[in-house]
Amino acid sequence: MILNPITTFILLIIGVSTFIFIMLLPALFELKRPKDAGPRMIMEYPLFTQPELGRVSMANVEEEQRLDQKLVEKIADIIAVLPNLEA
Amino acid sequence: MITYLVRHYIFTLTVLKDAQKHKKTATGGNATYQPTVSILIPARNEEKVIGRLLQRMTELTYPKDKLQIIVVDDASTDNTGIIAEQYSNTQNYIKIIQRSRKEGGRGKGSALNAGFKQATGEIILCFDADYYPQRDIVEKLSKEFVDPRVGVVQGRITVLNESQNTVTRLVTLERIGGYRVDQQARDSLGLITQFGGTVGGIRRSLLERLGGWDESILAEDTDLTFRAYLAGYKVCYVKEAECYEEAVESWQDYWKQRYRWAKGHMQCAFKHSKRVLKSNSLGFREKLDGLLLLNVYFMPVLVLCSWIIGALLLFLKSPQWLSMVWTIMPIFLYSFVGNFAPFFEVGIGAYLDGRTRAQWLLPLLIFTFLYNIPICTKALLDLAISKIFGRNCNHWTKTPHSGNGNTYINS
Repeated sequence: MILNPITTFILLIIGVSTFIFIMLLPALFELKRPKDAGPRMIMEYPLFTQPELGRVSMANVEEEQRLDQKLVEKIADIIAVLPNLEA
Repeated sequence: MITYLVRHYIFTLTVLKDAQKHKKTATGGNATYQPTVSILIPARNEEKVIGRLLQRMTELTYPKDKLQIIVVDDASTDNTGIIAEQYSNTQNYIKIIQRSRKEGGRGKGSALNAGFKQATGEIILCFDADYYPQRDIVEKLSKEFVDPRVGVVQGRITVLNESQNTVTRLVTLERIGGYRVDQQARDSLGLITQFGGTVGGIRRSLLERLGGWDESILAEDTDLTFRAYLAGYKVCYVKEAECYEEAVESWQDYWKQRYRWAKGHMQCAFKHSKRVLKSNSLGFREKLDGLLLLNVYFMPVLVLCSWIIGALLLFLKSPQWLSMVWTIMPIFLYSFVGNFAPFFEVGIGAYLDGRTRAQWLLPLLIFTFLYNIPICTKALLDLAISKIFGRNCNHWTKTPHSGNGNTYINS
C-alpha cells in the first residue's frame, strides 16, 4: 500500500515528534525532580550542601573507587569488539 | 569528521581501561619536592567571589614560606581591590597589583603578565577568581615538576553551582567529558594534554623562555600549551588535583564564554598548525592530536556548511544521486560529530564519576551542540572580517560571576 504524500508527511511529523519526546523524557524527569547526587565532592570533608533539597547531597569521590568492576570490564569488552563489527 | 569520531572512542576506551587497571594517570611526582610557588589570580570585578578564593588560599597546606600569592586587580570598578587588600594586610605572602584603567582591561593574558613580573616562585600557578581549590592542591600540582620534562601541569575542574539550573547542569556534563575522559586519555596516551589557563601552572624557566603569555591571543591557555610542546616540554594532567569553578548560569553568558574560546582557539589554529606539522619535538600521534585539538572549533561550522549545501541541492534539483548524498550527509555528520561519540564520552565520564543519574540529562547536550554552531560560525566570521579589514579582534569579554556558588560552601 502506498500512502499519499500528506499522510506520509503527517506520520513523519508524529513519528519524529514522538521519538524526540521519548528521547528527552528521562532528561525532563531529572530536571523536574533531580536525584543526581552532584556536585561531585572533591574535599576530604563535607563542605557543600544543597539547601533547596534540604539535605547533604554529594557524589562522594570514593564512589569512583567502589565502581562495579565487572560492569566496567563488560563495557570495555563490548567497545573493543565494535571496530570488528564495523569491518 | 570521522577522525574526530574515532578519537572520541579511543579516548573513552582508554579511560575505561585505565579504570579497570586503577591506573594513575599522573606521572607520580615526588611529594617531598616542594619548590617555591607563586599563585597568580587575575581578577576584574570579582567582588562576589574573590573573598571566597582568598580565604581558601589562607587555608592551603603548602608551606607559607614557599608560597607567594599575587592578586592582579585588573582595573576593577567594584570592591575587588578592597577585599583583596584586607587579606594582603593580614597575610604577608599575599600581594596585590593594582592596575589602572589605562593599563588594565586588556584580557587575562595581560593581567597574568603583570603578575608574572612580580612573581618570585620557581613554579607559577594560576587560579581564576571564581575557583575554590582543595587545600592540598599546590602540593599535588607542584610535585609533578620534579620531572624535568614536565613544563606545565593541569588539574581537574569540577562545577560548584551545578544544581542551579539547566545551563549549569549541562556545563557540568561538558566538564566531565572534558576532564574525566578527554584530558585523562590524552595524558595516558602521551598526546597533547591541554592547559586550561587555571587550576594549573607552568615552570618559571619555561615561561621566561617563552616570553610570558601572548596577549594577542584570546585563548592564551591553548597558545601556551602549544608553545610549551613546541619547546620540547609536556603538559601533565593531575586528576587528583581538583578545584571547583562557578559555571556560567545563563545562555547569554554561555555564548560570551564559548565565543571567546572559539575565537581564541581559531587564532591558535592559524598560529600553530603549521608549526605543529613542522615540529621536530612532536611525534606523529602528537602532531595528529594537536591538529585535531587546534581545529575542533571549526567542526560546528563545517556541520552548518553541510546543512546549507544539503538544503540548497534539494531545491536546485540536482541529479537524484547527488541530492540523496547531500540530504543524508548532514544527518551523517551530525550523528558522528554532534551526537554519538561525544555523548558516549560524557556518559562514560559520568559513569566513572559515579554519576549515573546525571546521564539522564545527556540528550539535552544536543541543544548545547546546536548552540555552538552559531557561536563558532560568528567567531570565524568575525575573525575573518577583522583580518581582512585589519581591525582589533581581541576584545576580552569577561565572564560574570554571581557568587551563587557561595551558597554551597559552609564556611
